[in-house]
Amino acid sequence: MLDLSAPLARGIFLLVLAVIGLFLFFPIYWLAISALKGNAELYRIDPTFYPHALSWEHFATAFGRGKLLLHLQNSLVVSGSAAALNTALAMYAGYSFAKFRFAGRRPVMLMLLSAQVFPFGLLLISLYPIMSSLGLLDTRPGLVIASIVFALPVSTYMLYSYFSQVPDELIEAARADGAGELRIFHTIVLPVSIPALVTVFLYGFMWSWNDLLYAMTLIVSEDKRTVGPGLLLSYLNETNADWGGAMAASLVASLPVVVAFAILQRWFIQGVTAGAVK
Amino acid sequence: MATLTLRGVKKTFDKTHVLHGIDLDVPDGAFVVFVGPSGCGKSTLLRLICGLDEVSAGTIAIDGEKVNDVPPARRGIAMVFQSYALYPHMTVAQNMGYALRLAGTPAGEIETRVKAAAGVLRLDALLQRKPRQLSGGQRQRVAIGRAIVREPRIFLFDEPLSNLDAALRVDMRGEIARLKARLGTTMVYVTHDQTEAMTLADMIVVMNGGRVEQVGSPLDLYRRPANRFVAGFIGSPRMNMLPATVAENGTVVLPGSVRSAVGIAARPGERAEIGIRAEHLVLGDPSAGVITGAVTMVEHLGADVFASVAVEGVDAPVIVRLDGDSVVRPGLPVGLTFDPARAHPFDTQGLRADGADAVRSAA
Repeated sequence: MLDLSAPLARGIFLLVLAVIGLFLFFPIYWLAISALKGNAELYRIDPTFYPHALSWEHFATAFGRGKLLLHLQNSLVVSGSAAALNTALAMYAGYSFAKFRFAGRRPVMLMLLSAQVFPFGLLLISLYPIMSSLGLLDTRPGLVIASIVFALPVSTYMLYSYFSQVPDELIEAARADGAGELRIFHTIVLPVSIPALVTVFLYGFMWSWNDLLYAMTLIVSEDKRTVGPGLLLSYLNETNADWGGAMAASLVASLPVVVAFAILQRWFIQGVTAGAVK
Repeated sequence: MATLTLRGVKKTFDKTHVLHGIDLDVPDGAFVVFVGPSGCGKSTLLRLICGLDEVSAGTIAIDGEKVNDVPPARRGIAMVFQSYALYPHMTVAQNMGYALRLAGTPAGEIETRVKAAAGVLRLDALLQRKPRQLSGGQRQRVAIGRAIVREPRIFLFDEPLSNLDAALRVDMRGEIARLKARLGTTMVYVTHDQTEAMTLADMIVVMNGGRVEQVGSPLDLYRRPANRFVAGFIGSPRMNMLPATVAENGTVVLPGSVRSAVGIAARPGERAEIGIRAEHLVLGDPSAGVITGAVTMVEHLGADVFASVAVEGVDAPVIVRLDGDSVVRPGLPVGLTFDPARAHPFDTQGLRADGADAVRSAA
């Protein structure tokens, strides 16, 4: 083990941390300062590392002329629905894999995991005709279903692992108390699994929120467009590259996920099952 | 209050036979303890009685009514789990009232019954706490309280004290004994701790390898173990086993060619084992006609001293209980004697083979 009390070791440790931190946060910093620079400063040949003159013009454009609010609203609806549907499906599937023994359990689980080896983009080729034949192209429900296709297997596996650790005795105690299987799941297992459910919800939400390829391919109407394709098509298209507007809109678009993490992060840490057994 | 009857109860997991046909009659109001080593099937049997697992063959009846296909909650039983299995997101009061709420009991009655049970178990001040805010002993009491509230016909306890430290275990043992006296309900209790079994039980069921070895009162088992297994399992320290050869007139020849008038029902020349408890051995000087050996270890327990004696021809050291003031040192050559009437003779199959059994098998 590295002894962090030694000044030299501590210095090296902090230096490494700083390099990693710089690597991670510099793009975000650049995003923020670019959004706050006026066009004159933004397009200078020698870049400035902080805005010499603060300018809100790009935000004004994004909220005014652009359709940022509409796109955000669409994304919120699609990603919220996708995250909810993904969590709901994954929790029942994960619980059945974790606590019930039935024929075909192992093969089905293997298939779930093997779905992950297919490239994300490749799946779209088969997804597109399916959506088309179901009449779900260019609809929000279609995009919701498409965006959980990839998140669901992983989410199911995450919840399977978590539910496997819920003590059997807890479930048996409820059974002996007279609860049916669904009631046990809803009133005993789910309340002690909130951290895992929050994690899976956020995973599904982020997957959908950050998706560009599926959203761009499956949605063509401007009024249903989500924030990813919206940003790209509004600011960086064939005729126009408005970097300042793109930066300002991106900054606004990334806020919901950051806020969601900030609010929900305490659930990641909290061990709700403490005191259940032993 | 209820009787419990088991007839030919078998349990098989895949191809593994865990229980090989258990027959048992538990009278109304009895405190029965299933005791045996790990893997003997005692917990499995309790789970079958509770209804958490299905029997593979045989019948389980409560008050004469077959309950094989009755779900746990409708058998009129309550189980206290080894790990307590409290619902972590519910308060103590909610934990205790959960079964009643599921059964549709009016809120007022739930409160009354929870309060009454809390009073019995001194949990009044803790009703609004969550399980994680409780100590191990308090959690155990909540688990028992959850069972009491249901007013079951039979209580089932699955090693309820095994997670507690030694001092707390003795306290809780007393608590359970008082509870039993107060409620008078039939109780079935599983443990691997023979001290718990001896102190709590009206009736002990000694199990081994999925079979019942012997059923009886604690003192019955202690004084007349039916076989070598029960003899070794009940009592601490373990019963000493001396290899012997059957001689004429029901006497035996012990290690060192010592003859003893232990009555044994076996043919002369057969091998046998003579069991003798530590407190029935007398330590004396080595002389002709007594078992001789040397002290190898001395353990002072305050009230008692246990001396281990190495005897030629006996594999395990022979343990002798002495008065707490005795002065014995390792290396001392000693002689061992005992009253033949206190000895337990076992035949080659490990079954008890004294006069009384001989009469029965002859009849």
